[in-house]
Amino acid sequence: MAAKVSRRGFLKGSAVAGVSITVSSLPLSAAARLLETPPRPGADWLDSTGQPRYRLDALAKVTGAKTFSRDYRAQNLVDWPAEQSHAFMIHATKADRRFEGVDLSVLDEDLQPDRLVLHEDLVADGIAVPNPDFFGDVFLVPKGETPRLLGQPVALLIYHDFALYDEAKRRLHFEEGAVVYGEKTAYNPPPNYGASRYVRIAGERPEEEDRYSPLKDAVIYGSFQGDEVEWPAAGDKDAVARGMAAAAEIENEMEKAGEGTLLLERNYFSQSIDASAMEADNGNVWYDEKNGVLHLMMATQSPYHVAEVSAKLVAESRFALNSIDLKTGYTVGYGTKDHNIFPFFCVVAGLYGEGRPVRLANDRFEQFQTGLKRHPFWMENRMLVDRKTGKIRAMTGHSRTDGGGRANFSFSVSFVGATAAQSIYYLPKSDFSAKAFASRAVEAGSTRGYGTLQTMSATEMMIDEVAELLDMDAIELRRVNVFKSGMKNTQGAIPGGAMRNEEILDRAAAHPLWVNRHDRKRTFEAEHPGRRYGVGYAHTHKDYGTGAEAAVVSLEFDPEGRLYMRHVAHEMGPGVTTSQAVMAGEILGRVPDETEFAVTEWPQMPLETTDEPYTMSQEEEDRRKRNPRWTPRFTSPMSATNSVYYMGHAVREAARALRDFAFWPAARSLWSRGIGGGVLAPFAVHPEELRLAGGMVNAGGMPSLTFEQVAAEAHRMGLVTGVTVHTFNRWQWAEAEFDIPGHGPMRRPIDALAVKYGRQASEDLKQQMTAGGWHFVERANVSYPPIQRNNAGVTYYAPVATLAEVSVDTASGEVTLLNHHSIMECGRQIVPALVSGQLQGGLAMGIGHALMEYLPLYEDGPGNGTWNWNRYQLPRAKDVAAWSQTAEVLEPLSDSDPPKGIAEVVMIAIVPAIANAIAHATGKRFYELPITPEKIREALS
Amino acid sequence: MTRATKPMSLTVNDRQVGPVAVPEGLMMQDFLHEYLNLTGARMGCGQGICHACTVVVEEEDGTLAEMRTCIVGAHWFEGRRVRTIEGIAERDTDGAVTDLSPVQQAFIEHFSFQCGYCTPGFVIGATVLLDRLQREPVSREDLEEVITEALDKHICRCTGYIRYLEAVRDVALKTPGLVTS
Ligand code: FES
Ligand code: FES
Repeated sequence: MAAKVSRRGFLKGSAVAGVSITVSSLPLSAAARLLETPPRPGADWLDSTGQPRYRLDALAKVTGAKTFSRDYRAQNLVDWPAEQSHAFMIHATKADRRFEGVDLSVLDEDLQPDRLVLHEDLVADGIAVPNPDFFGDVFLVPKGETPRLLGQPVALLIYHDFALYDEAKRRLHFEEGAVVYGEKTAYNPPPNYGASRYVRIAGERPEEEDRYSPLKDAVIYGSFQGDEVEWPAAGDKDAVARGMAAAAEIENEMEKAGEGTLLLERNYFSQSIDASAMEADNGNVWYDEKNGVLHLMMATQSPYHVAEVSAKLVAESRFALNSIDLKTGYTVGYGTKDHNIFPFFCVVAGLYGEGRPVRLANDRFEQFQTGLKRHPFWMENRMLVDRKTGKIRAMTGHSRTDGGGRANFSFSVSFVGATAAQSIYYLPKSDFSAKAFASRAVEAGSTRGYGTLQTMSATEMMIDEVAELLDMDAIELRRVNVFKSGMKNTQGAIPGGAMRNEEILDRAAAHPLWVNRHDRKRTFEAEHPGRRYGVGYAHTHKDYGTGAEAAVVSLEFDPEGRLYMRHVAHEMGPGVTTSQAVMAGEILGRVPDETEFAVTEWPQMPLETTDEPYTMSQEEEDRRKRNPRWTPRFTSPMSATNSVYYMGHAVREAARALRDFAFWPAARSLWSRGIGGGVLAPFAVHPEELRLAGGMVNAGGMPSLTFEQVAAEAHRMGLVTGVTVHTFNRWQWAEAEFDIPGHGPMRRPIDALAVKYGRQASEDLKQQMTAGGWHFVERANVSYPPIQRNNAGVTYYAPVATLAEVSVDTASGEVTLLNHHSIMECGRQIVPALVSGQLQGGLAMGIGHALMEYLPLYEDGPGNGTWNWNRYQLPRAKDVAAWSQTAEVLEPLSDSDPPKGIAEVVMIAIVPAIANAIAHATGKRFYELPITPEKIREALS
Repeated sequence: MTRATKPMSLTVNDRQVGPVAVPEGLMMQDFLHEYLNLTGARMGCGQGICHACTVVVEEEDGTLAEMRTCIVGAHWFEGRRVRTIEGIAERDTDGAVTDLSPVQQAFIEHFSFQCGYCTPGFVIGATVLLDRLQREPVSREDLEEVITEALDKHICRCTGYIRYLEAVRDVALKTPGLVTS
């Protein structure tokens, strides 16, 4: 096969040679399509305050249009054959026996699959799991081997007729005999996933240099000897040894601390849960053998990753491959559709479709059985507190998590949990470690919260208990220890921007729920015999971002003043598309007339990437970055959290560039027309006086111009009329210099830039527009944040605090959430309705985690295929205090505050707040989540 | 060879469907998805728990009922009038939406949904509730509880329900005759 040039230049470094890849979001059907642009185009979409009247995707979603990947069948996909085949898998429900084969004898002759695929078929065809260290070593359990994990598929069955598929699937459901097991064996999980440790000892004062910290010195890694972790030896030979010595010093101080201190030791447990995204995992794959094209319609939060890994999977097999064509619809996963293995099962199914598209779509039982879970955490915490002042002297927390039978992100989740364990407190000395174990459980992954819900909840329950033991007000104790701007976190890094936790504490302390809690308790309990009343507070902040956030956006306008935005981001629920359009409007005074999201073709950005933003050495990065077309990463997986800040940065930079390079010079030119320099001459007007608002252009008392007038002038003058930027953030923005004709070199927080010149630009300029009609402006003096910055863990935080009011029925143990109030700081809100919607949704999820949701890990757990929402309880409208709950958001410090990512933090504080409220109500502390009626009954009996 | 089928006819979104040969054990949800290409009634649990899959059945006397399509066989709908989420808004002859129902309009104005997977079920549930209130108005002080009760069976994982409930309250209060003072 002739090697084709990749259509996506940036994939050159990592894609399989000779395979071209395109990724796109599905063009919505004609009816829904007009919804992607404002239904009644233009200003009508915004109300008089500049807020959108509804989400860009509202009409499609509310009328039942095909929007989700799950909604599409072959006949709905352009150029696909219309006949749709359907597949399902048979799963192992025992992990201590050899798998011997499948027995399909319960199926009548006509219900036998058109194609049965077993591990041995995959071996024969050269199909292997592309990243075995991440996804596990096999797709299907090999004959004679013990499954790695419960729920692991053993066979794939493909049917060309839906009715037969449907009937066969129903017959085999709960049919234990379908999987034939042999002799009993030991469990067969993969090796454990990793152990890490973050030790810090501050200098004398918070602002002084740390004596030891992960950022300044080292993160410490342990090695597994079986199920035991061996940490390096303490000493002074290197940074790691000194770190272990520092840990020993903290340990020693805790042991020795006597009089005048409180040493509280508590163990906590946070359970495994299923995020239960309503859309279960699914995909539809057509392998066009004749042309060597693999077409995918996939529900995924990481489409580029799926495309690249699929290319590798197929290219290494006997199936010929020239190109990959991946489409996505809308999807929702709360992290569980990011880097999950499911899409690759779909690819395997597609390869055996005998030329037909094959759809593999989990039902809810299968989703419980195979979908990524939230990690269970076991935490052993110790906190040393000065009795007189309430100041925390030191805290240690040693956690272990069970990642289940595929590695996935378990190691990373474990250490992100450890780095968040400090919650909102400044800790002069700390030692947090995390161990990620493998087991036969269904694997856990990057589910919303990412380890931090678990560790911060524990710390927030602990601080509440410390307050009680010290007889201090729990909010006052927090104030004494609160983390302030400029302080260092447990990794030794200084978080970016202002930390406004004190303001939140002030508001919480003054809130009626808190102020009146003792009185209310007395009256409530007098009025409701058999019920106890309690109020609990908790306060957390969560980092947002991944340490390798990349985005690409373009904005341009035509001579008629129509504004177009193209964006790499795609929608997953929180309203990304809506808020990105609004952000462009804030700077340019006009929302785009047309928007296109999930754009994958960026010919104007001929970038190359190695896509190893975490693991590349500093040396290599220094060498590579000299190539002005290299970037550490082209685009990052979409999550609800990263979108508003990181994606928004690219929009704002593109909009600012247009303002500076187009609107300012064009407006000046119009104002200087006429004899003696026009209306501008008698005034000194500066660029910072330029105001773009409501479709008008103003500055320093000059006559108002319309957006259209200035746009036309910019085209007439041949100015920059389109800007595409690429951005990269490693807990800090990459910056570079760009020499834009007519403006000279200027530094911007972006790492690649392309511009388009106006219709009447000079031939000289036009000749430079060779990159898909754009001028790719090569950068100079690029600076990428140093790789060491990865050790900082995180530097961007958004805080949320919640007060929860509960009553507990002492006979039944039932907890009723009477009310809750949340206080949030999220920078500047772009679309408040979307922010409050996310908060309300996160709170509901937290309520489920605190009180209801629970999965056993092993044989009784979801891997056995019997779990659905009848036994797994989710919060309903009645459970969330729907009509009484309230929230407030701190005003931004100024109108230039960036928006913060809040999708994850919103669900955390409510969890320990409820636990603390139950403690207030019952006088008993609960250390294991969820706090169920049984546990309460037992404690009260 | 295919399984035993039975002919069935029904009305879906005012359109006469059938007779079509439909397997006897096929669930209505699969009939809508795989035979009629109507995928708005969504699969959430497949077990009658989440109500993501509901449709409106228009009874002979004109009243509306909410039915789960994941646990009710297609043949149960023989001869009935069914309205799916795709048939709630007014459409022109090309199928383009020309007017939303009051519930749909309220949901978009309240930013009620996020991912939107559960939205069809909530539209159906609220539509049937409002139809009931037309015949059996509620007092103002019971309104919130009646709404919560009616929609409690619908699961949503993104929104925490508030904006759905508030939107429905809005429509109930704005529509004459649903709420007695
Ligand atoms: S899918 Fe029908 S009730 Fe859940
Ligand atoms: S909006 Fe996503 S499940 Fe309801």
